[in-house]
Amino acid sequence: MEKKAQIELTFHWIYIAIAGAVILLFFFSIIVKQKQVSEERLTTEVVGIMDSILAGAGVSEKTKNFIDASGLSDYSLYFDCEAGVGEFGIEDRPARTQNSIDPVFAPRTLKSHRIIVWSLPYRLPFKVIDFLMITSSSNKYYVLGSGDFVNEFINATEGFNREYILNIKEIDVDKNLEVRVIDADGNNVPGNPIPANLQEFPDGKVSAVVFSGSNFVDFYQKEGILWKKTNLNPIRVISLPGERDAAKYAAVFAGDAKTYQCNMQKAFKRLEILSEVYGGADIDLLQIGGKLGEMNDFYTSLGSSAHADCLGNIVNYQDMNLRDSLAALKNRAAACQLEEETCVDLISTAGGIKKINENLRANCITLY
Amino acid sequence: MSASRDRSAQIRMTETIAVLFIFFVLVLFGIIFYYKYQQVSLVEKQEELLGARAIETTLKTLFLPELICSRGEAETEDNCFDMLKLRSINETFKRYLENYYFDIFSYSRIYVQEIYPGDSTYLLYDKVKPDAVREEPTFFVVTLRDEIAGKGGELHKFGYVAVVVYS
Repeated sequence: MEKKAQIELTFHWIYIAIAGAVILLFFFSIIVKQKQVSEERLTTEVVGIMDSILAGAGVSEKTKNFIDASGLSDYSLYFDCEAGVGEFGIEDRPARTQNSIDPVFAPRTLKSHRIIVWSLPYRLPFKVIDFLMITSSSNKYYVLGSGDFVNEFINATEGFNREYILNIKEIDVDKNLEVRVIDADGNNVPGNPIPANLQEFPDGKVSAVVFSGSNFVDFYQKEGILWKKTNLNPIRVISLPGERDAAKYAAVFAGDAKTYQCNMQKAFKRLEILSEVYGGADIDLLQIGGKLGEMNDFYTSLGSSAHADCLGNIVNYQDMNLRDSLAALKNRAAACQLEEETCVDLISTAGGIKKINENLRANCITLY
Repeated sequence: MSASRDRSAQIRMTETIAVLFIFFVLVLFGIIFYYKYQQVSLVEKQEELLGARAIETTLKTLFLPELICSRGEAETEDNCFDMLKLRSINETFKRYLENYYFDIFSYSRIYVQEIYPGDSTYLLYDKVKPDAVREEPTFFVVTLRDEIAGKGGELHKFGYVAVVVYS
């Protein structure tokens, strides 16, 4: 009987141990699942908040925002753009967001306690969209060379981690995580080796952007002790001359040639739509509508020769008028999305529209 | 003695069943409480997201190059819509709704209501969610610049832009 009681007691404890283990396992699995869920939720929230910050910063012209991201300093944000669709998120996490509208120019990865967001309006010749430049206090920009752009860049980027140097050998890596060299006249990077101070730095963290000729840009990446050009042909910066050339600044902050061109394509898509807003849906068939249609109807209804110049600039002047120029702008913006080499034609067309708009300013309603 | 042992075993068995029953009732309570809590927080989160989307959509609308007043190369005028662009913008938004503007405005309804001197309404964008359960309207005062009504000079009207978002 005693033996039976002993077996019963042992069985009783085994039963308790198994039941306890099952209960513990159940709660443990809940805890693990919850931890996973809350981590995913946190990264999704971070991406969502970042998206809202970027949306806010993107719409307000010429604003610089310095965002305290100390809570994010353990995470690496990544930015990419492919086939006209931009994507950003946290590296090695599922949370990410895609955007096919807003052009965002940023390094491929960003890890810092302070993120800098700067918005610049892109005009061709009217305002097309705001370009959003993103960088951080850990990304150092060394400016080399001469020309108006150098002074303008240094003045415009107050608060950024940037420095003007006379010689590429002056580069000092210090505590920076990523270095970009801006060669404003194309005399410092091409054909030269990587400066000694940068040779120990990881290849992916050293890059250069080189401006040359009549507003062309090339992107370089460190490969051992040499600079490697990452784009096949020089990329033409599509912009009108003047201060705060958004397309040129965008090249400075873009991760590489591919993301630069991909984001520029977003702007050209918007330009195509905007030429319809100004000229009407069938402006490519030389049928005016939109704002230009309203201007034309207004001056036609006045029927006075006093406004002949206004109508001339809108439709009548044979050599250059808004109807023909907007039609060309729409067609060229559409062509540029298919074939990048044709994008350069946008510059002269936009320049023509700008000139007509200036002519209209004296006595007529302006287009923009 | 055997009968009393049987009884004691029966009592112990009933006791164990009662303990297990109470345990599972408590677990069930926990699950129900957690489920209800999750339901409430999900609704709260949805409302929060809808509110954020309403503000974001309004902000984007106010700064749209398709609508905003410009003056050549100068900075654009905040909270001002160009009536010459606004009057025909609905057609453009419709034409590019699926492959462009839906990505900006999503499911929403945007219109401009003139308050002074007239009372015209201009529907800009309209994409109502078929099974919408909630809507969040946001209003913002804007000036409406009409160069034609001012006979070539500028006439500023007043109105508001209403952005209604759905979820």
